[in-house]
Amino acid sequence: MNRIPTTRLIVQREVGERLHSRFTWAMAALTALFVVAIIVVPAVLRQPTQPTVVGLVGPSAEALAPALRTTAKAARVAIRIVDVRGSTEARSEVAKGSLDVALSLGPDSARAEVKRTLSPTMAALLQATVDQAHQKRALSEARIPLSKVLPALQPVPFSTRTLDRVTADQAARDVAAIAAGLLLYVSLALYSGAVASGVAQEKTSRTAEVLLGAVRPSQLMNGKVLGIGACGLGQLGIAAVAGLIANAAAREAVIPSTIWLLLPAILLWFVLGFALYAFACAAAGAMVARQEEVQAVTMPLLMPLIVGFLLTYAVAFSSPNTLWLQVLSFLPPLAPMLMPARLAIGQVAAWQMPAAVLIMVVSICGTARLAARIYASSLVRGGARLSWRAALRLGGE
Amino acid sequence: MAVGDPVAEAPAGQPGLKVSGLFHRFGELVAVDGLTVQVGPGEIVGLVGRNGAGKTTAMRAVMGIIRPERGDIRWSGHPVGPTDRLRFGYMPEERGLYPQMRILDQLAYFAQLHGLAPATARGEAHRWLLRLGLEGRGLDRVVALSHGNQQRVQLAVALVHHPELLVLDEPFAGLDPTAVDALSDILRAEAQRQAAILFSSHQLEIVERLCSRVVILEEGRVLAAGTLEELRARRPRQLRVKVGGSAEWAAQLLGVQVVRQDGDGVVLLLGPGTDPQLILRAAQACGPVQQFGFEASGLVDLYRQLVSA
Repeated sequence: MNRIPTTRLIVQREVGERLHSRFTWAMAALTALFVVAIIVVPAVLRQPTQPTVVGLVGPSAEALAPALRTTAKAARVAIRIVDVRGSTEARSEVAKGSLDVALSLGPDSARAEVKRTLSPTMAALLQATVDQAHQKRALSEARIPLSKVLPALQPVPFSTRTLDRVTADQAARDVAAIAAGLLLYVSLALYSGAVASGVAQEKTSRTAEVLLGAVRPSQLMNGKVLGIGACGLGQLGIAAVAGLIANAAAREAVIPSTIWLLLPAILLWFVLGFALYAFACAAAGAMVARQEEVQAVTMPLLMPLIVGFLLTYAVAFSSPNTLWLQVLSFLPPLAPMLMPARLAIGQVAAWQMPAAVLIMVVSICGTARLAARIYASSLVRGGARLSWRAALRLGGE
Repeated sequence: MAVGDPVAEAPAGQPGLKVSGLFHRFGELVAVDGLTVQVGPGEIVGLVGRNGAGKTTAMRAVMGIIRPERGDIRWSGHPVGPTDRLRFGYMPEERGLYPQMRILDQLAYFAQLHGLAPATARGEAHRWLLRLGLEGRGLDRVVALSHGNQQRVQLAVALVHHPELLVLDEPFAGLDPTAVDALSDILRAEAQRQAAILFSSHQLEIVERLCSRVVILEEGRVLAAGTLEELRARRPRQLRVKVGGSAEWAAQLLGVQVVRQDGDGVVLLLGPGTDPQLILRAAQACGPVQQFGFEASGLVDLYRQLVSA
C-alpha cells in the first residue's frame, strides 16, 4: 500500500472530524428541513379556491339565479347560490360568514351587502347580472320580442391570457431568490467560520508547530479549506436532494421554473463564495492568540455576507434589473448571494454569469495567495493577536 | 567567549545534520548568532543554555518552521528540503496535539503525514502506545489524558515514523524521575537504531548522562561545543590536595591559584602548562600527602564557569 498524498490526508482528517461531530449533522438536518419547508409549507397553506357564496334575497333576486350562474360560468368565477328569505336573515348570515355577499333588488336599484369588502370581480359579475335582468325587463315592457335581442344579451365568454410569462410564477421566484440568498449566507458564514476556528485551534493548541515539521503551510491551509468546503457542499447537496424529493412528494408544490438552473447555481456559488471567504478566514484564524478572538477577527470579514443576503430582498421585491443591483452582483463578496438570487428571478443575461464567475475566480486566486502568505507567517508566531497590517507586513517578509 | 569549534563536529562526509553559521533575528533581537552544530547518525547532541539562549529558534530553523536570515542547514550533505523533513521527528517546546482526536488516530495520522502507508502507520501507532505504557488508551481523546501521558503521546508523535533525525525541544521538562529514566532509555535505543538526536534541556545532569556532545549557547552565541572530555580539557583543571601540615605551601607555588580550602584540603586551579608532578613534590615536602587528585568537574561546573566568564 502506498502513502497517501499530504493534502489528501489533511482533507480526510478534516472531513472525518466533521463527520464525527453532532453539530455537523444537526446543521445538515436543519438546512434540509429549511429547504423542504420552503417547498412544502406554501403548498400546504395554499388551499383550493372556495366558491363565493352569494345569497339572493327575496323572490325578485332569486329569479336572477340562472342568469348569475351563466355569467359566472362565462367569467370562470366559482360561485354557490343560496336563496335567503329576508334581509334580516341575509345580514345575520353575512355577519356569521356563511354568506359572502347578499344581493337584494329594489324596484330601480340593487344592493350587495358584504361583511367588509366585495372583490371587484364579484362586483362586476353581480352588476352584469343585474343589468342583464334590467335590460330584459325594459325590453319586454317596450314589447320588443325577446327572442330577437336575447342572443345580444348573452354574456360573451371572457378569458385572460398572460403575455409576460415571468409573472406566472413570480411569487415562487421571489421566495426562491430569498431562500437561495439565505441558504448561501448561512452556509458560507458557517463553513468559512469553521475554517477560521479550525486554523485557530491548530495554532492555539500548538498542533500547527508539530504539523509544520512535516507539511508545508500551503498544504495545511489548502487541505483545511478543501476538507471543510467538501463538508459544506455535502450539506447543501443533502438539502438539494431533500428539496427535490419534497417537491416530487408535495402536490401543487411552488417550485419556480428557474429551479433547474438555480440548484446547480447554488452549489457553484457556494463553492466560489466558500473559496473566497474560507481563504480570508484561514488567514484571520492564523492571526489570533486565543480561540476566543476568532469571532472578533472574522466578523468584519463575514460582514459582506449579511449585506449580500439583505440585498436579495431588493432583488426579489424591487426591480431585480436595476443597474446598481446588477453592478453589485458582480462584486466578489456579494456575488455568491446576488447572482443566484437574480438567477432565481430569471433576470441574468447570458453573458453575466460566466463574467461574474471569471471575476470571482480571479479574486479567489488573489485572496488565496495573500492568505497563504499571512497564514504561513502568522501560524507559528507567538504573542498577542496580530493586526491585519502587521500580518501583511510579516507575510511580505 | 565563543569557541567556533571544529573538534565538536563529526567526521566530514558522514550522513547526518550539519548546521553552519545560523543567524536569525526577531526584530532587533538576535536570537541565534552563528550557530554551528553537527549531529551524526547514532549521536545524541545536547543544546544547553538558559531561556532565550536561542535553542528553540535553532531547532525551529532545522525543522523549517522559521526561515533563518542566514546560515546553512544540510542533511546528508545537501540543503534540507521538505522531503528530508518527512524523515525528521519533532517535539516542540510547547506541546501540540489535536485535543479532541483519539490518540491512536492521531499517531496514525502523523505517521501518515511523514509518509507511512495507512496500515503501517496504524501498526506503528499501536506499537508505540504499547511501548509507552498507553495500551488500552488508544481510543481516548488527548484531553482525557494526564499531563504526563500527553507528554508521552507527544513523544510518540515524534517517533512513530522511525525518524532519521530527532529534534526534541525540552523533552524532559515536567517529567518525574521515572519518566525521565524511561525517556532516556528510549533516546538511547533510538540512537542505537542510528537515529541522529538533537535535544535541548535545562537539566544539565540529564544532558551529561545522555549526550555524546554538547553545545552551550548564551544569548544566541556558542560559548563552547564538544564532547564532555573536550570541554573539560579546555578548562583549567582543579586539583585537590590534602597534606598533613598547613596549607601555606600552596600559596607559594607558581602558576597555581587556591580556589578554596576546607577540611579535605585545598582545591587548586592549575594554570596552563603547570605540571601536577611539581605540585605533588611541593606537597610532599610539606608533610604526608593524604589525598591528591583532579576534581571531577561536571557539566554543571563547566556551564557555570563558562557563563560567568
